Amino acid sequence: MPATSLAAIRHELTRPRRAAAPLGTAAGTRAALAALIVLGVIAIVGPYLWHYRPTAQLDIVALKSTAPSWNHPLGTDRFSRDVLARVLFGTRISLAIAILAVLVSATVGTTYGVVAGYAGGWIDAVLMRLIDALLSVPRVLLLIAVLALWNPVPLWGLILLIGLTGWFGVARQVRAQALAVRDRDFATAARALGAPPWLVAWRHVLPNVLSPVIIATTLAVGDVIVLEAGLSFLGIGAREPMPSLGTMFQDAVAQSVTAWWAVFSPGIVIVVIVMAFNTLGDALRDALDPRQLPGHAMHEHPEPVDA
Amino acid sequence: MRFSLLLASAASLLTLAACSETRQAASGSPDGGTLVIATPTDADVLLPPLAATQLSREVCDQVFDHLAEIGDSLQTIGDAGFTPRLAQRWDWARDSLSIAFHIDPKARWHDGQPVRASDVRFTVALYKNPKLASPFTPQVANIDSASVRDSLTAVVWFHQRRPEAFYDIAYQVAILPEHLLRDIAPEKLMTSQFARHPVGTGRFRFARWDAGSRLELVADTANYRGRAHLDRVVYTITPDNNTGFTQLLSGQADLFEITTPDQLAQLKGNAKVRAFPYPSLQYAFMGFNLHDPKQPARPHPIFGDARVRRAISMALDRRGMLRNVFDTLGAIAYGPFPRSLGSADTTLRLPPFDTTHAAALLDSLGWKRGADGMRARDGHPLAFTLQVPTSSRVRMTYATLIQDQLRRLGITVDIGGMQFPEFMAHQDARDFDASLNAYSTDPSPGGYTQNWGSGGAHKGGSNSVGYSNPVFDALLDSALTSFDPARARAYAVRAYQVLADDAPAVWLYDVLTVGAISTRIHTAPLRADEWWAHLADWTIPPAERIDRDRIGLGAAKP
Amino acid sequence: MARRLLARLGQAAVVLWVVLSAVFLLIHAAPGDPFSFDAPNISPAIRAQWRAAFGYDRPLGEQYVRYLSSALHGDLGYSHSMHEPVRDALAAALPRTLLLMGVALALSFALGVWLALVEVRYAGTWRARLTHRVALFFYSLPDFWLALVMLMAFAYWLPLFPAGGIVDPVLHDYMSPGRALLDLLRHLVLPALTLTLLSAAAILRYQRSELLEVLPMDFVRTARAKGLDEHTVLRRHVLRNALLPVITLLGLAFPALLGGALFVEKVFAWPGMGYLAASAIDARDYPLVLASVVVGSCMVIIGNLAADVLYRLADPRLRRQ
Repeated sequence: MPATSLAAIRHELTRPRRAAAPLGTAAGTRAALAALIVLGVIAIVGPYLWHYRPTAQLDIVALKSTAPSWNHPLGTDRFSRDVLARVLFGTRISLAIAILAVLVSATVGTTYGVVAGYAGGWIDAVLMRLIDALLSVPRVLLLIAVLALWNPVPLWGLILLIGLTGWFGVARQVRAQALAVRDRDFATAARALGAPPWLVAWRHVLPNVLSPVIIATTLAVGDVIVLEAGLSFLGIGAREPMPSLGTMFQDAVAQSVTAWWAVFSPGIVIVVIVMAFNTLGDALRDALDPRQLPGHAMHEHPEPVDA
Repeated sequence: MRFSLLLASAASLLTLAACSETRQAASGSPDGGTLVIATPTDADVLLPPLAATQLSREVCDQVFDHLAEIGDSLQTIGDAGFTPRLAQRWDWARDSLSIAFHIDPKARWHDGQPVRASDVRFTVALYKNPKLASPFTPQVANIDSASVRDSLTAVVWFHQRRPEAFYDIAYQVAILPEHLLRDIAPEKLMTSQFARHPVGTGRFRFARWDAGSRLELVADTANYRGRAHLDRVVYTITPDNNTGFTQLLSGQADLFEITTPDQLAQLKGNAKVRAFPYPSLQYAFMGFNLHDPKQPARPHPIFGDARVRRAISMALDRRGMLRNVFDTLGAIAYGPFPRSLGSADTTLRLPPFDTTHAAALLDSLGWKRGADGMRARDGHPLAFTLQVPTSSRVRMTYATLIQDQLRRLGITVDIGGMQFPEFMAHQDARDFDASLNAYSTDPSPGGYTQNWGSGGAHKGGSNSVGYSNPVFDALLDSALTSFDPARARAYAVRAYQVLADDAPAVWLYDVLTVGAISTRIHTAPLRADEWWAHLADWTIPPAERIDRDRIGLGAAKP
Repeated sequence: MARRLLARLGQAAVVLWVVLSAVFLLIHAAPGDPFSFDAPNISPAIRAQWRAAFGYDRPLGEQYVRYLSSALHGDLGYSHSMHEPVRDALAAALPRTLLLMGVALALSFALGVWLALVEVRYAGTWRARLTHRVALFFYSLPDFWLALVMLMAFAYWLPLFPAGGIVDPVLHDYMSPGRALLDLLRHLVLPALTLTLLSAAAILRYQRSELLEVLPMDFVRTARAKGLDEHTVLRRHVLRNALLPVITLLGLAFPALLGGALFVEKVFAWPGMGYLAASAIDARDYPLVLASVVVGSCMVIIGNLAADVLYRLADPRLRRQ
């Protein structure tokens, strides 16, 4: 999975760099934006637009796994539930999980990075060693261990767990940025004028590290949706009665030959969401990048260089 | 409908194939061929008194022999139906307190050593040794010991004259080689080399086991009961259900033990693969904890009342759920027993499916619907968590169905899906409201004393719902001490009715599993307790053999 | 360099110890234990007796000290889910995972770098756009889906390759060495291809931006000015410089593939480390969980270390440090 397995690559990918040419095309970006707006609207009002409830079992014998029809445009699943109602609802849950989780990651990672980078010295050294330790446990393995051992984990627990295992890369980037910004003229000037450290960090360092965080966060939404789908595949993701798209996919995958519609719809929506977020992330990088770190800081080492 | 059609066509195919087999029998030997079985979970300990997983039992039953083998009707009283195995014949003592078994002088261990009466003495002592901690210890409780009369005659002694004495020694105890095991401390047997490379007397001998990947048996050509017809049986461990099924369809595997109804639907029109339904002695139910999980001395706040339990039972459309999960291949539970059990009875009175009655019953008990439609009494909502092991797809499906059906009656069900070890830990600690559970019996109703009798109701016992009724205990005891099979059965049925009336559980379905098998394979009769009982008699006709069937018994290249 | 390496190794040891202790606490705090597996006939009393026989009923501190001391003496314990010593289970599973991941890593780097070149060389044309879109699509796929689709497509509808397993379960032992190797390769194709497609997309994206960073540099302009054709400039000057940072990625990607391998191994019944770890967690197989998490972490640390060393060797600017 590009997202879960290659999280580390992703951290590399999103680190600050000078872009020489836009990655995507303007048309692609517009399509991604449009898709995201539609999906966002679906997530918010979708479940109110369709009269079936996503968990209602209509007739477990007669309406089990029926093909798409006028009454059920996307068919019914093996519990005789309406697939359209479920996809509308699942989009909401999947997006909610992903967005809340990356917000947790971004907040924790940014705070940690700013503190480490701005404080410097032994605090920075200790904090970065801790990140090394955390990064050396494969994220998927860690998530599987915790989720499987304490299954069933409630939805908020799942969100927190995903969020709290996703901030290490952000923290590293932010720390590098903060380190660089700290010694720039405007920050030095503010310190010389007697501004307290937190104020300098807040006023001068934070705004300068925000754009890589925004890029990383946008790209991370796609990651988390894929990650959650993978966890659902193992039976430890979101669960009924709050099913994500991944949960629906997993529930129907055994019938993919006999009742393809139940597995097709949530599958397509997941891929569209993830592609849209990735395209948007690329576009954001193109737009925000030029004022990034100068010169060879781009060859910054994955491991902090020893002082 | 389409499944019964499918089965019918599969059956007719089988008949056709059987005809062709007789023709081929003249042209070639029935011996030879390789059976590849795709199975989801690995084996554990390959030592009969410690084997816990299904695959371990399958392997142990091929590699080891009993003194006598139970008949296909699974009759457990006296020695009726039992056929000779390691023992050629046996003599009962006049007081029925001991039986002398005469060992087949041709019987040899797979390492060439002859089987001796002292092996029987050693085996019985080992099964009863508390240091071994065999789960079969309760089943051999009535066996006192075995002694050696001469090198080929072993005498097995019993504590009491019981109807199932012969069954206890013949069915529960597989004979083990003293010369290979006597030097290993019993507590070390579980992790011993022998438990990974067993040596027995069966018609298949153990060849090799790559943990997590494959396990291989080969025919014992010098066997005293004649060699197994198949050259070898290879179990491939395939955890993902789709992958295992794909292996079967592509011909990589010949037998796939557990299929879903959707996979069976895909078999329609496939001439190479047919459905393989086999009976079992497992039955599944939704059990109610009768005691408060927080204060075990007190009854459960909801399920302590038998009328609530009956109302829930009446609210569940057991047939509809069965139809949804198994299509036409399911087997509804007739009561607290699997239908393959000799004492099973189809006429037991169970609470009928009647939602109106169920609602009225709950209303009369003070569980009234609130503004949101959900029931409550004195401010306490009628809500509980239903614990389910996620490893069972069928039970997870049932949980989702039950959740929606009870919601309609105003009962909130939270599905607590958890991995099996956690499920087990909650069962042991009696820390649950309700659970979807499956018990597996052996052919005797004796297991009921542990699973539903007062004796198992204490913490640490197997009766996890804590059911206790002296009438049930007494009837079951009468059943187990009757020497007349008809009387024994009558007592057992009365005991089941008492259990059904108290409704400590909703009896859902018999675990009647349907696998799928290549039509190349010609099976022997499938016994209800273990479909693999006659595996050594299965054949692959020469005309239908493929590459892997023709490699013969020669040693593998290094 | 040597001192730096030693310091890094010392750090790694501390990190491993922290990880080990944390996982030890985590798994013992979770409900269930190695003897609460699914077997309806085994009574709780018998399970308790087995637990006691292996010391799993002792106080946690005692178990921890005993585990650490025996692990330091090379005894990693006995695995109850694999029914063999943990060392044997690791010895069987690790090479399988290394084979799968090694092949996937090599292929995905080759494919990723090549596609990046295509995309840069033909920038602005339909070829580059198509490459970009396809890569983005694979990049957005959950890996177990791709694994399932590959399985359905090439083992079921179009049965070109075997559906899972590492070798033919029966015939492999009877094949000539050449045929046996071929058999292994046939089984390797689908899982390795799945992993390759998934990670090649990521590598393409990374390599492409590296290329684009090098393109505007002075030496490239010089090369062009010398009259070299665009192809030679790309290959000889741009690629060589842009490949340097990819070494970093190599170190990071190898352990990171472990997560993807976990899903791919499950779908293709490939009994490697991912499969081992997942089944150990399911079975609450304490010593095997500990060992597999530590091995996973070791792979990350070794990957980083190797990238660090390689990078220093390859970049003359850093060699002098």
